[in-house]
Amino acid sequence: MTHHPKERYGGLNRRDFLLRSAVAASALSGASGLLAACSSSTTAEQETTVGSTGAGEPEPLGPGGLPLARPHKRVELPLWEDPIESGLEPETGGTFTVYNYPDYFYKKLLTQFGKEYGVKVQYTPFDNIASGIQRLASGAVQPDVMEMTPDNLDLAVAGKLIKPINIDYVPNLAKNIWPELVSPFYDVDSHYTVPYTCYATGIAWRNDKVSEDIAAMSQPWDIFWEAEAYAGKTALLSEERETIGMALLRKGELDLNTEDPALIDQAVADLKELYDICNIKIGDIQYQAIPEGTAWLNQAWSGDMIAAYIYYLPKGTPASVLSYWKAEKGNVPVQNDCFSICSTTKKPVLAHHFLNFMLDNGVSYENFVDFNGYQPPLNEIDPETLVTDGVVPENLANCVLTNDDFGPDSLQYMTLTQNGQKLWQDGYSDFLAGGS
Amino acid sequence: MYRRWLWPGFALPGVVWLIVLFVVPFYTVVAVALGTVDPILFQPVPIWNPLEWNVGWLNEVIHRLGPGGNLTDVALRTLQYVAISLVLSLLIGYPVAYYIARLAGRTKALLLILVIAPLWINYLMRMLAWVNLLAPDGYVNRFLTYTHILSEPRDWLGGRPSTVILALVYGYIPFLILPLFAALDRIDKSHLEAARDLGASRFSTFVHVTLPLSKVGILGGAVLIALPMFGDYYTPNIVSGAPQTSMIGNQIDLYFHGGPQPTIGAAITIVLAAFLTLLMGYYLWTIHRATREARTA
Repeated sequence: MTHHPKERYGGLNRRDFLLRSAVAASALSGASGLLAACSSSTTAEQETTVGSTGAGEPEPLGPGGLPLARPHKRVELPLWEDPIESGLEPETGGTFTVYNYPDYFYKKLLTQFGKEYGVKVQYTPFDNIASGIQRLASGAVQPDVMEMTPDNLDLAVAGKLIKPINIDYVPNLAKNIWPELVSPFYDVDSHYTVPYTCYATGIAWRNDKVSEDIAAMSQPWDIFWEAEAYAGKTALLSEERETIGMALLRKGELDLNTEDPALIDQAVADLKELYDICNIKIGDIQYQAIPEGTAWLNQAWSGDMIAAYIYYLPKGTPASVLSYWKAEKGNVPVQNDCFSICSTTKKPVLAHHFLNFMLDNGVSYENFVDFNGYQPPLNEIDPETLVTDGVVPENLANCVLTNDDFGPDSLQYMTLTQNGQKLWQDGYSDFLAGGS
Repeated sequence: MYRRWLWPGFALPGVVWLIVLFVVPFYTVVAVALGTVDPILFQPVPIWNPLEWNVGWLNEVIHRLGPGGNLTDVALRTLQYVAISLVLSLLIGYPVAYYIARLAGRTKALLLILVIAPLWINYLMRMLAWVNLLAPDGYVNRFLTYTHILSEPRDWLGGRPSTVILALVYGYIPFLILPLFAALDRIDKSHLEAARDLGASRFSTFVHVTLPLSKVGILGGAVLIALPMFGDYYTPNIVSGAPQTSMIGNQIDLYFHGGPQPTIGAAITIVLAAFLTLLMGYYLWTIHRATREARTA
């Protein structure tokens, strides 16, 4: 289960645990029926082989028996119900609920949407996508639209938690968004999602503290294994896929969705070497720790470095002390977030209008530069313009992604089989345990 | 009939409270740990009927916590941190409680309020405040370097076990002081005077009278802070962040934070609870014995 840049100190407490336990039965009863619905209506594209491989081995499947999407393997998700008809008028009045990570959408823009359509917009946050989906499944929340991640999409569709989209209502998708994400590999024809933000995983560091030219190293990920001088100031992302995935990439293994136990074991063994090398830390506050200088070297998401520059750089600290490296296309892990319409919506037409609203060039750009720091995949955004406009300093221009970063040869952490998820989670547990 | 049920009836709110907020949740944890997982949403599916319990997850956890298992070290580390924190808390908390109970005089109430005052602020906020205080250019380092106790700032937040232990002590010590104060405050002064009259020195009176009579308070306070310390995961997260200072609570958090094995998290909770029951059992036995001795005295 991948986590998300917006997940900070989002651990489950005992209360959450008990709540989760209590809702589990209802979640199960709802989900099993959906599985049947999905399995009977799967309409995978030609690129997707469902059921068996050429070698006679059964094709691994994800939650709900849905095929596992990969950048080179496109999946069209089944429609568990028909989308709404075209040409309907949006509902007005009452409350429209947006369900998302905390502080991940500019409230000024939500108010603007509410005024435009005559509704009160409520923003309901969740700690992380897993608990967000759990609350949705339990009926504890009844949002109209929600943030979604591609690796959780199978689960949400199999659980009938999100509704099919009628793309006629979302013309901004084809008009403004990168072609690679208009009909993405994980949701061909955008049946359930529209893209929201995108980011890459790389290395952030303070170049006034770290002497090595990391970008010039033959294998920049090696820096963590050469960080004796930065002990206590070096951290990895607190996320099992990213952490183990980084160790795989360092060894040249590009399959970030591997379920080979030998590869995972080796990656975990490599990560454990970091205990003694640099007393490695884990955490997701690099957006603050790097600019403030409490960390000098960090595995980091590109969006965090833009946010670091916009919000967290202390007065008197020049932006030039921040450096970021990400690998070339085909070697760099990239991700994108999405938005979906929840099955609980009472305003399905308005929900479609919201998706179109958030993909408007002006709205999306304002959300990015004035609030979020996470880049939307807009055609009109390019690194040079952002540097020219002063949104991003020149030394962080590589934090801005382009549509070239996404495509069939891109590296993306995607849904694993249940056994695969166990494998990665147990591996991370082993690393997190800290050794003797 | 009415009189027969009157006095037991006063226990009813407490019993209901215990059932609703302890027995049911705990049984739910057991039912989850010995249950299954929904294959679609990866949600835990509790099995309520003991006859159908699935012990597979529990066996796996016991194996992983046992010798050679990958959770052995983190379990032992947790035990070590809690034990050291407990000793430090007692060394700091006992004199404070003793002073407030026996020597504070009119300032007793004020001092008690000061002990409790930190509890008015959220635990996480207090820990985050320490992150600022312990930063390389924070007040702690400034003071220590200004007074030449340290020649250069110490990297308190660089993943040090000592920082985690001190944070645990800071976070939980008020919960130790309060029961200790109550126990010390209850000690009949005539016992102390009798000891002194019989020739005991102040120190001897303390060792042979005060300390034994405050044993229940010591154990009560120790249990009160040890239980949450064993399950703590946010303190090492905030003040350290290094896997080498992680505690068993971090493993529970990991398995509940998402993924297909929430039952593993529940199973670790059960094993931890079983271990803590031993501590609690010793405490209850001590209370029982003290009560019996008091009756016979």
